[in-house]
Amino acid sequence: MRVIFSLVAGLLLTLIAFSPAEAHRLRVFATVEKGEISGYAYFVGGARAKGASVVFRDRADRELHRMSAGGDGAFRWRPEPPQTIKIVVDAGEGHVGRLVIDRSRFLGKRAETEQDNEASSFADASISPLHREMIETTVDEAVARHTRPLMEKFEAMETRTRFNDIMGGVGMIIGMAGAAMWALSRRKGGAA
Amino acid sequence: MAHIPDGVLSWPVLAAGGVVAAAAVAIGVRALDEQRIPRVAIVAAAFFALSLFSIPLGPSSVHLLLSGLMGLILGVAIFPAVLAALLLQAVMFGFGGLTSIGVNTINIALPGAIAGMIFAPLVAQADVSRAAFYGGVCAACAVLGTGLLVSLSLYASSPDFAVSSRIVIFSYAPLLVVEALVTGFCVSFVKRVKPELLARTRSA
Repeated sequence: MRVIFSLVAGLLLTLIAFSPAEAHRLRVFATVEKGEISGYAYFVGGARAKGASVVFRDRADRELHRMSAGGDGAFRWRPEPPQTIKIVVDAGEGHVGRLVIDRSRFLGKRAETEQDNEASSFADASISPLHREMIETTVDEAVARHTRPLMEKFEAMETRTRFNDIMGGVGMIIGMAGAAMWALSRRKGGAA
Repeated sequence: MAHIPDGVLSWPVLAAGGVVAAAAVAIGVRALDEQRIPRVAIVAAAFFALSLFSIPLGPSSVHLLLSGLMGLILGVAIFPAVLAALLLQAVMFGFGGLTSIGVNTINIALPGAIAGMIFAPLVAQADVSRAAFYGGVCAACAVLGTGLLVSLSLYASSPDFAVSSRIVIFSYAPLLVVEALVTGFCVSFVKRVKPELLARTRSA
């Protein structure tokens, strides 16, 4: 048993030393800027899904637009009219990533037409509707531009396989083995 | 990609994979005894952890499967070992899928079990260097088998995967080489330090 332990430990240490924790899982990152969806598909660990097929679907799963991701896995498309969009990226070999962009993410007045304008924070009657829309659009665009790097960082952190999680899984397997041995010993004890 | 996620395979393929996996796991569990359970757990833990790590290789990256080595050491007990590891990978990391867990278990464990059955007697009788060679070939065969089964699973699910299923075989080439080298090294190490670990699998 000590031999298997040393083998496993050796292999693990080698891998940890040479590569970050990553896997072949395909993820999709996308934001909405000026009513346009822009993002990219990537494998957990950072590698971009070059030339992957990108399909945009509506809430009813109808295909609205289809394109190929660029060399860096990037895609860009403006839905007309703004609505909830499901992005499905297929990098082949069963690597499929999905992301839903909610209608509320499309900033500015166009996405708000059916919503209650009374909820707007701009309640001041001295501001004309045109100015209000311009201010809202400008602020939304600025916020989207500034939060994008943070969202990308957060996405990367969320998908990173953590050492503690891996060790947790290893512990669970060892625990299951312990439970199996306990059950086996009880059965033997009962039979004796 | 041996870890096929949810929503890719068709229901008939998922159901067939589930039924075959359940039968194979039952056979594997029946072969377990008190002595073998810790060994299965350690190998399953190794597979769980190591297949989460990718090694950059050329334009792509590969992650180890260790199915050949698992087949040599565990025999048919590879099925519960792979199932337990895949289940945790799917639940904890979303790596692979829950509905496709039966297919994934078969795709990874079946070639390993068959290759292990074929090569375990050869490894047991050979000297260290020859055992390492057989171990490497065993791993290569297991990876090739996994590639074929993944292709078959995709092709049987949808004609849309026809091109992907052909390409997937070639994408396994780097892994085949890496896996053969790693398994060859592991087998030579075990053969030198604790040869009975490999010899015992002949009865599995």
